[in-house]
Amino acid sequence: MRSHLRILFPALLLCCIVLVGCTPSFQSQTVYATLEDLPAYSDSPYVVLNDNQPDFSQEDMSTDSFESYSPLDLLGRCGTAFANIGADLMPTEDRESISSVTPSGWINKEYDGQYLYNRCHLIGYQLTGENANEENLITGTRYMNVEGMLPFENMVADYIQETGNHVLYRVTPIFEGSELVARGVQMEALSVEDEGEGICFNVYVYNVQPGITIDYATGDSWEDGDAPEYDADDSATSTGNTSNGETTYILNTSSHKFHYPDCSGVASMSESNKETYTGSREDLIAQGYEPCGQCNP
Amino acid sequence: MIIIQCVDNRNGTFFNRRRQSQDRLLRSRILSELHGRRLWMNAYSLRQFQTELPLEVRLSVDEDFLTKAGIGEVCFVEGLPLLPWLDRIEQVILYRWNRDYPADTYLDLALDAPPWSLAAREDFPGFSHPMLTKEVYIP
Repeated sequence: MRSHLRILFPALLLCCIVLVGCTPSFQSQTVYATLEDLPAYSDSPYVVLNDNQPDFSQEDMSTDSFESYSPLDLLGRCGTAFANIGADLMPTEDRESISSVTPSGWINKEYDGQYLYNRCHLIGYQLTGENANEENLITGTRYMNVEGMLPFENMVADYIQETGNHVLYRVTPIFEGSELVARGVQMEALSVEDEGEGICFNVYVYNVQPGITIDYATGDSWEDGDAPEYDADDSATSTGNTSNGETTYILNTSSHKFHYPDCSGVASMSESNKETYTGSREDLIAQGYEPCGQCNP
Repeated sequence: MIIIQCVDNRNGTFFNRRRQSQDRLLRSRILSELHGRRLWMNAYSLRQFQTELPLEVRLSVDEDFLTKAGIGEVCFVEGLPLLPWLDRIEQVILYRWNRDYPADTYLDLALDAPPWSLAAREDFPGFSHPMLTKEVYIP
């Protein structure tokens, strides 16, 4: 019987992703990539982190299979799922229904005949055979699930089936503040027996759906350009809109990113790099600033 | 020269300087269809073939094998551009994984347009892939 080791990952991932080099020497440099540094989604379902080097330690390089899932937090949100996947963990039976699980932020809607959200496995069913495990299912867009995560899961599953080797595999949902829907997931993997020659990646997959705007705080959604009406005071608080149509942003004069005032990236910003700006988004971009990848101003 | 290359559903070939996939039954098929012709590859590719190589296979391993392969000889290519050798390619044998994988390197030949034409197509089961597809293109 599989052991489900429960692990606690503190608020670390709300603030930063710690990325350490992992090549066979396990001696390469440590790189810290904050959420603020992630580029805004453009047209690729994922971006590469830390030159695709995942953050596993030499102690992790074991040939003992295991899988572990974080307990839900007080908001009912999943945390990191971590496994050392061998052929012995892979499913031998058809997948069962997972509809009994309601992940945080599950406000599903249909667009053009297709549902926006999937109950998205952190560690895919084809890897560890987890069915209705609430600690392994998040609210994820169809795009993130199919275009973003599935190709990586396929690559790992086929590698294990072919070689019989193990793959260290970790998926971390990245939430902004107290939002109920993850902004994306970090996926890391490293093959064990060949020390990464077969499988080695570290990517961030965006939880977006082209053409659809998502309110990550609640899980509500609407077609682009069809935003619901909000109370003017609420809008000013959450997005920095002012009454004359201009918007207040917080600038990071070091990284040249701009944020909404309530973005968590602002809280961690050095005061010496912080500057308040009221005006148009276009003017800021013309000045060489880029929108924050998390609050998407 | 005859090129053999493996691709995913979007003609991807490599991700992060690594092959997307491999399959022992595919390797076995490649070796069984050489019919005495020399097989060229680089050292990276040799690592997936070396435990299964029959003694009768005429193998050449060279990092510059696409320059050195002669007429009628077979080149197993992983993650390398083919366009620079276009004038020397007599045939392309494409093996499709029939899977979506991540990719940052892609097949750089437009085999669905002239002068290329599809001469043969065949599905067969792999070891770790339910169904692989072999396609043969000639210019």
